[in-house]
Amino acid sequence: MSDHCPRVRSIVLGWGALALAGLFAGCVEAVPQDAIEAVENIDRDLMELRAAEFSPVDYARFAHQWMELKSRVQADEDLVRWPWELNDLELALRRLQEEGSQTVARLTKEREALRQSAESKIAQVEDRFRVMAVQVGAIDSRIVLGQKPVETDLLMKQAHAFYEQGRYDRSLDASDRAAQNLATQTILLGNEFGRYADRGQISGWQQMAKDTIAWSRTHQTSAIVVNKADRILTLYRNGQKVLSYPVRLGFNGIREKRYQGDGATPEGRYRISRKRGQGETQFYRALVLDYPNEEDRRRYRLEQKTGQIPASRAIGGQIEIHGVENQLMAQTLGCVMLENPQMTQLFNRVEKGTPVTIVGALHEQNSVAQTLVLLGVPREET
Amino acid sequence: MNTRAAVLPVMCALLMLTACAKAPTEQIAAAEKAVTEAQQSGAATYVADEYAKIEGTMAALKKEVSEQDGKFALLRDYGKVEQLAAAAKSDAERVKVEAATKKEEAKAAALQAQQVAQEAVASTLALVAKAPTGKDRAALESIKADANALKESLNQVQTAIDAADYPTAQTKAKAIHEKSQAVSQEIKAALAKIGKRKPSAAKKK
Repeated sequence: MSDHCPRVRSIVLGWGALALAGLFAGCVEAVPQDAIEAVENIDRDLMELRAAEFSPVDYARFAHQWMELKSRVQADEDLVRWPWELNDLELALRRLQEEGSQTVARLTKEREALRQSAESKIAQVEDRFRVMAVQVGAIDSRIVLGQKPVETDLLMKQAHAFYEQGRYDRSLDASDRAAQNLATQTILLGNEFGRYADRGQISGWQQMAKDTIAWSRTHQTSAIVVNKADRILTLYRNGQKVLSYPVRLGFNGIREKRYQGDGATPEGRYRISRKRGQGETQFYRALVLDYPNEEDRRRYRLEQKTGQIPASRAIGGQIEIHGVENQLMAQTLGCVMLENPQMTQLFNRVEKGTPVTIVGALHEQNSVAQTLVLLGVPREET
Repeated sequence: MNTRAAVLPVMCALLMLTACAKAPTEQIAAAEKAVTEAQQSGAATYVADEYAKIEGTMAALKKEVSEQDGKFALLRDYGKVEQLAAAAKSDAERVKVEAATKKEEAKAAALQAQQVAQEAVASTLALVAKAPTGKDRAALESIKADANALKESLNQVQTAIDAADYPTAQTKAKAIHEKSQAVSQEIKAALAKIGKRKPSAAKKK
């Protein structure tokens, strides 16, 4: 019997160890590590997507669930459970992982759509901005827009900066404001130059030119017509076109002259009040016009009375058709400027009292009207 | 008599346990205070994800308090609540510092960009003042309008800084700086084009 004791002890210990091992092998962790890591990865993905900024409601929902489960994970950290026990926590984590994956996929898609939208808006507004700059430059009317072009430019630069930072919503906002600014510029141009596209106004100008030409025919003498939109000066003799020269106008030339210093070239019926030969003018040769005429004075008084012209502004004067003082100078202060050889030709063919009619445009397809059409300014009728 | 003597200590122990199982209101209040301070330091803006998690922890804490409050007094255990309150407080304190640092960095960057923009605009305005008011006025008049627009846009930078909207302030200031440099170049080109000619005598027009 005593010989059998160690053997029995060994068997008992062996089975005991086996049972214990089996017991532990049957127990599992309360929460599998991979389930936690999977949710942590989802959180990282959401942070990379800047979900908390981009879609705060979605991220808050995820974060609330994650933090609650995390607190349960920490509380259950030291627990082991039987394999057959239902693990609610693991199920909740797997569910959150699934929901989180769907949120990541949806937000990735939404963010990409927003990025594309911001990119396309930038391109669209920049294109419109370029067209506006080119067209406005072509009719020398940048001054009319005042500070608006710079405001648009700054907004577009901001839109670019926000886009580069991945802040697509802010980029879109800046582009939208730039687009609104461009729309305001279009309205401004329409208000200022709509008359160039107005059939009633154009037929009025055509009548003025016809009257001048008829006067030249009737009186068998010279008459000048200046077309501002086309920047053309035409000399008539006995009602016949004698010569036609390109001209430069005031720095705000296509606007209607209202007061001194506005850089606009006046529109109306004038006469040459004085001829200034060489040595009498700094501009080679000059034909002084009788601006302001009675109509100019009447309009000036009315606008001053209604507050459209400040009381301190004078009506101006010394409007001339003159030659070039400096070849590099592109505009005048309101006068009509010709190249010197052409000025000589004109100077020699007119005299004091010659009528000079300055009109905005003589046909409906004038350069200003075409610009307004290209910029989408609606046509006005009077 | 012996039975009564045995029950009495058990009753006392139970009473003591019941007395101890109360929500840790002070710890919760401390955590809430820390979260509020984090929020005030700009955590929701500058460390939005971290702040959302802290809010999640606070929501879990409140849920746990409510669950424990709903239990029979003898079975209540606020250990987890204490743990969550401690975690929320410590995270909120860390996030508060982090948000304040990031906010300060954003402010410093915006202020620096503002200063650079101000200097650039001042330099542009100085160039505009030098420009002659001769006959070639269209470009110069436009440039003047541009320079004035830049000067006025600086006010928008200040407004954004005052509203603590530093990203807007910084991007606006950088845009002003860039545009200002472009306008300065345009003026220099215009000045070079006009040359050193003496401007024409002022005339009534």
